[in-house]
Amino acid sequence: MSTSQDKPQLIIDGKRLDGRGPGDMRRISIEANVLKNAAGSAYIEWGNNKILAAVYGPREALPKHTSDPEKAVIKCRYQMAPFSSLEDHGRTGPNRRSTEISKVIREVFENVVIREQFPGSEISIFIEVLQADGGTRAAGVTVAAVALATSGIPMIDIPYGVSVGKIGDQIVIDLNKIEDNYSDADVPIAIGARDGKILLLQMDGDMTNAEIAKGIRMAQEAGSVISKLQTDALRGPYLKISEKYDADDPSVPK
Amino acid sequence: MKTTMTGEYIKEMLGRGVREDGRKFLEYRPMDLKVGIIPNAEGSAEAYLGNTRVLAGVKLVPGEPMPDKPLEGNLVTSAELLPLASEEFDIGPPSPEAVELARVVDRGIRAANVVDMQKLFIEEGSVWNVFIDIYILNYDGNLFDASTLAATSALLSARMPKIEEKKVIREGNLGKLPTTNIITSSTFGSMSEHVLLDPSGNEELFIDARLTIANDERSVRAMQKGLSGSITPKEVEQMLEVAFEKSKAARSMVRKAIGE
Amino acid sequence: MQKIVVPGEKLEDKPLRIDEAFTEDGKTYSTIMGMYDDVRKVLTPLEGLWYPRPGDDTVGVVQEDKFNVYIIDLNSPYRGLIFAKDCNEDLMAGDIIEAEVKELDKTKTVILARPRKLIGGKILYVRPSKIPRLLGKSNTMLRQITQLTQTSATVGLNGLVWLKGGRIDAATEAVATVQNEAHTAGLTDRIRAMLERHR
Repeated sequence: MSTSQDKPQLIIDGKRLDGRGPGDMRRISIEANVLKNAAGSAYIEWGNNKILAAVYGPREALPKHTSDPEKAVIKCRYQMAPFSSLEDHGRTGPNRRSTEISKVIREVFENVVIREQFPGSEISIFIEVLQADGGTRAAGVTVAAVALATSGIPMIDIPYGVSVGKIGDQIVIDLNKIEDNYSDADVPIAIGARDGKILLLQMDGDMTNAEIAKGIRMAQEAGSVISKLQTDALRGPYLKISEKYDADDPSVPK
Repeated sequence: MKTTMTGEYIKEMLGRGVREDGRKFLEYRPMDLKVGIIPNAEGSAEAYLGNTRVLAGVKLVPGEPMPDKPLEGNLVTSAELLPLASEEFDIGPPSPEAVELARVVDRGIRAANVVDMQKLFIEEGSVWNVFIDIYILNYDGNLFDASTLAATSALLSARMPKIEEKKVIREGNLGKLPTTNIITSSTFGSMSEHVLLDPSGNEELFIDARLTIANDERSVRAMQKGLSGSITPKEVEQMLEVAFEKSKAARSMVRKAIGE
Repeated sequence: MQKIVVPGEKLEDKPLRIDEAFTEDGKTYSTIMGMYDDVRKVLTPLEGLWYPRPGDDTVGVVQEDKFNVYIIDLNSPYRGLIFAKDCNEDLMAGDIIEAEVKELDKTKTVILARPRKLIGGKILYVRPSKIPRLLGKSNTMLRQITQLTQTSATVGLNGLVWLKGGRIDAATEAVATVQNEAHTAGLTDRIRAMLERHR
């Protein structure tokens, strides 16, 4: 957020700096099962964001005192690579920002994972932002959800993340980095695709009630697109293998 | 997971002249290299060695020179064994293994003058710091060679930021980071009298000693012996010979990846 | 008709008791990625974990020898335990064993019985959700692989597979193919063709 004088004009003739309209998302592609060792993994390119997510577990919770005899504990680490931004070299190790983001993402997945099936165990979610261009926590939720689904850990829903924001008096979806820096408000949201419930909501800036309601509606609309990309990424590899064989005589390759 | 059976199986196969994954003793796994995959970084490259995957990113930042080298830039190499890369890697401060990895890669790059440090002088009291960050994405053995490959290629493909009106310009029409050489490394593991090039993750559980040899076209630039076992002078000679031979393919892969 | 479903996807507009599914507001939803057969009302996991039941065959790694009990790594959230009194084998850390699930205690520790040490050969890790396909109906798939390769095999429902002898490389390749193509029809025939071709 910035109120400085050198604020660039972010919307000109209804178009944003990268040519998008207020309701246009950046291009998103998701690939499931990209890492050999992890129980589940996925990679997302969301505009210029490039993010890897991996899941390990459920495994015995260590150290022992972190375990819960009733259900699995979820551990989550969101981290930005030191070379991920166009600016200076980032500091390695956790900082206040990444610690908070790790926590709110963890809470998203505590809501959807059926943790009661694995008492005493831990499920680790690692989100590595390799390149950042605004909206990394939303993209992080989206890609981690796909990684979890590939791990076979049972969930009641697949959440997606997206951010909305306010530029001048316009509500726009999916802020990129420069928009995020100079916008009047930024609202990262995560929603369960099945039940539509809000699992993550943060806000920073200046918005009216009506603007927030509009922002949430825009996030829901974008969500149907994001959800489809998630489920396509999950089904795609299976369909691709099936297509190698003739439906009438699957005993031989096509 | 380290099991007695895996160790016995690997040794039994070695006795018959093959490795667990079907390779010959002095054969690399399939190697691949992609450069420029993180455009926000000044330089980047991802190296694949079998199932081992390593990403290296390069950033340049103005800073103070070292007191003893006021006219030269600095090189800072770090490595992170990301917990997403293996069940065995944990969150926390860098392990001794990660520190050793970063330092061995760093030594090869320095000794071979991969980066022309004299060209990193900005003005009195100010030089470019070159940060190399090595990110292990999937572990299946031999992180040394994969990391050197990724780091070298990231440097050789890096752009050179410039300073205009005291601001760092990292985009647009920029030159290349001044470099003078290519370094690659070859890592060997020894297991009950057998010498294995490019040990896999399973093999690394059972090797007694490890030797990494980093060389350029002309000479050896860095070495590191690791693990608690020993190697004989004769084995070192053999490894050096193989390293020079095998490094040709790795070097030409780097050249091809950076478009030379 | 079989279709691929994802976690949270609706299976039925009525509440049905289906493994790996849950009901909410009178509807039934999947909790995993799986193949749903809406005629037989069966959800077969494509990605899933192993839930131990008494009688399950497992393959595990001895982790620790603790005086009167052995701790077994079952490659799962559950720790395996063998009481020394139930064990006729002399086990050491790093050994691989086959054992049967006797019971689950309150802390979800898997009590194992009748351990047998597996000697020689090699161990493969297979996703537990693919193990039923590797076994096949009444073990037909597994029998076909072992007979055509002359390799002996012990399969743990927890995802560890032990192979020894015969054409072990061909058997390994067959196991990998079953893992990758478990959801496709005609797999038994293709595996047979593959193993006969290389013979």
